[in-house]
Amino acid sequence: MNDAFTKYTQYLNDLNDKRERVVKASRDITMNSKKVIFQVHRMSKYNKEEVLKKAEKDLAAVTNQYMSRLVKELQGTDFWKLRRAYSPGVQEYIEAATFCKFCKTGTLLNLDEINATLLPLGDPSLEPLQINVLDYLLGLADLTGELMRLAIGRISDGELEFAKKICSFARDIYRELTLVVPHMDDSSDMKTKMDTMLQSVKKIENACFSVHVRGSEYMPLTGSNDPSSFLVGVPDIEL
Amino acid sequence: MKYMKSAFRNAHFTISRFLNPNPLIPSILDSVPSLPTIRVSPSFLRPRFSVEETFRFLSQAYFPSFAMAGGDHPATTSFESLEKQFEDFRMQLEESGGLGDRIRAVVLEIESTIRLMHASLLLVHQSRPTPELLEKAKTQIPVLKELYNRLAEVHRECPGRYYRHHGDWRSQTQSVVSLLTFMHWIETGSLLMHLDIEEKLGLNNLEFGLDIEDYLVGVCFMSNELPRYVVNQVIAGDYDCPRKVLKFLTDLHAAFLMLNLRNDFLRKKFDDRSFPQ
Repeated sequence: MNDAFTKYTQYLNDLNDKRERVVKASRDITMNSKKVIFQVHRMSKYNKEEVLKKAEKDLAAVTNQYMSRLVKELQGTDFWKLRRAYSPGVQEYIEAATFCKFCKTGTLLNLDEINATLLPLGDPSLEPLQINVLDYLLGLADLTGELMRLAIGRISDGELEFAKKICSFARDIYRELTLVVPHMDDSSDMKTKMDTMLQSVKKIENACFSVHVRGSEYMPLTGSNDPSSFLVGVPDIEL
Repeated sequence: MKYMKSAFRNAHFTISRFLNPNPLIPSILDSVPSLPTIRVSPSFLRPRFSVEETFRFLSQAYFPSFAMAGGDHPATTSFESLEKQFEDFRMQLEESGGLGDRIRAVVLEIESTIRLMHASLLLVHQSRPTPELLEKAKTQIPVLKELYNRLAEVHRECPGRYYRHHGDWRSQTQSVVSLLTFMHWIETGSLLMHLDIEEKLGLNNLEFGLDIEDYLVGVCFMSNELPRYVVNQVIAGDYDCPRKVLKFLTDLHAAFLMLNLRNDFLRKKFDDRSFPQ
C-alpha cells in the first residue's frame, strides 16, 4: 500500500505545484491587464494616440512576460484540467486586448487574431497556447462593462460620435452573444454576465438618448432647436 | 492540425483586412440620420437581421470616399467577419454540446448501475458476508466496464478533452471507486489499487484512465462505510472484525498522511472520515 501511496504523493505534489504556478501567472495577468484597461480609460480627445500607444506596449509586455508562462504549464490534458486556475486571468487579458483594439480601429479582435499573437510565444516544439472559445466569450462579456464606462466618459468629454460608435458596438456584441451563450458548457456564470451586459448596453443607450434630447449642452458644433438653448436658430455645420 | 486551420484563417483574415482596412472616422459615420431602406442582400445576410443593422450597413456603404485602396465594401468586412466568427463559435459549441449530451446519457446509466450495486452491497450490513451476496454486486462490474468503454469511445472522437467534461462524470466515478474498493476489502481485507481498478473497468491509462484524485476520494468514501460495517458485524457475531478494520484504517491513514493535501475537495473528504470507536 505504502509504495502505491508514495507514487500518489509524487503525482499530487507535481499537480498542485503546477496549479500554483498557473494561478500565480493568472493573477499577474489579471493585474497587468487591468492596468492596461485603466490606461486606455485615460484617453481623451487630445491624447488619444499616445495613450493608445502606451496601452499597446503594456499589453505586449503582458503577452510576452506573463502569457508565455502559461504556455509551458498548459501542455496536453492540463489545458482543460487546470482551466479553473487560469480562466480569470485569460478573461481579463482578452478584455484588455479587445478594448485596445476597439479604441484603435473600432472593430472586434477575433479569437483567431489573439491566438495568432500567442503563437510565437514559447518553444516551437511545444503546442502553442490557444485560448479557447469559452474563455474568449467570458472575456467579451466583461468588455461591455468597460465600454459603458468609456462611453460615459466620452460623452462628458463631448465626443458624442465616438460614444454612439461604442453604443452600436456594444449592441452588436450583445446580439451575437445571445445566440451563442446557450450552447456554452456550464453557462450559469455566463448567464449572469449576460444580464449585466444588458444593463451596461442599456446604460450606454440611455446616456446617448439623453444627450440626443439635450443636444445643445453636448454638441457645441451643431445648432439646436431646443428653445432654451442659446444656439437656437444656428444652422448646423456641414460635417 | 487545429493550429494550422486557425493560422490559415488568420492569414486569410489578415489579407482581407489589408485590402480593406477599416478607418475609424466616428464623427461622420455616426451622425448620419435615417437613411432610405434599400434592401441589400448579399449572400451572407440572413433574413432575421434587424432594421437597425441594415441602416448601419448602409451608412457604412454610403460614404465610399472613406474606402481605402482596394476592396468594394471597406466597412462591411469587419461586420461580416464579426458575424462569421460568432457563427463559427456557435457551431463549435453545438458540437461540443452534443458531446456533453452523449456523455451525460452514459453517465445516467452509470448512475443507475451504481444504485443497483450499492443496494446489493448494503446487504452485507445485515449479516455475515457470504460469497453469494457479493456475487450479485459483482455482476454489475461488466456492465460498468461496458459503460466506461462507451465513455472512452465518445472521448476518442476528440482527443485531449478528457477534462473538459470531466465534471459530468467525476462524482459517479468516485462512487464507483468506493463501491469497488469496499467489495474488494470484504473479500480480501486489502486495498484495491488504482491500477487494478483501471483493469477491472477496462480503462487504459494512456487514453482514458482513472484520475488519481477521483481514486483517492473514492477510497475516502469507502473508509466511511467501514465503521457502520464494523458495528453490524459485531451484532452478527464477528468479534474479530473491529481489530481487522482498525488495523486497515490505521494503515490507510498513515498512507494518506504521506500525501501533501491542499485545502480542496480531497482534503475535506479526508478530514471527514469517521473512525470506529
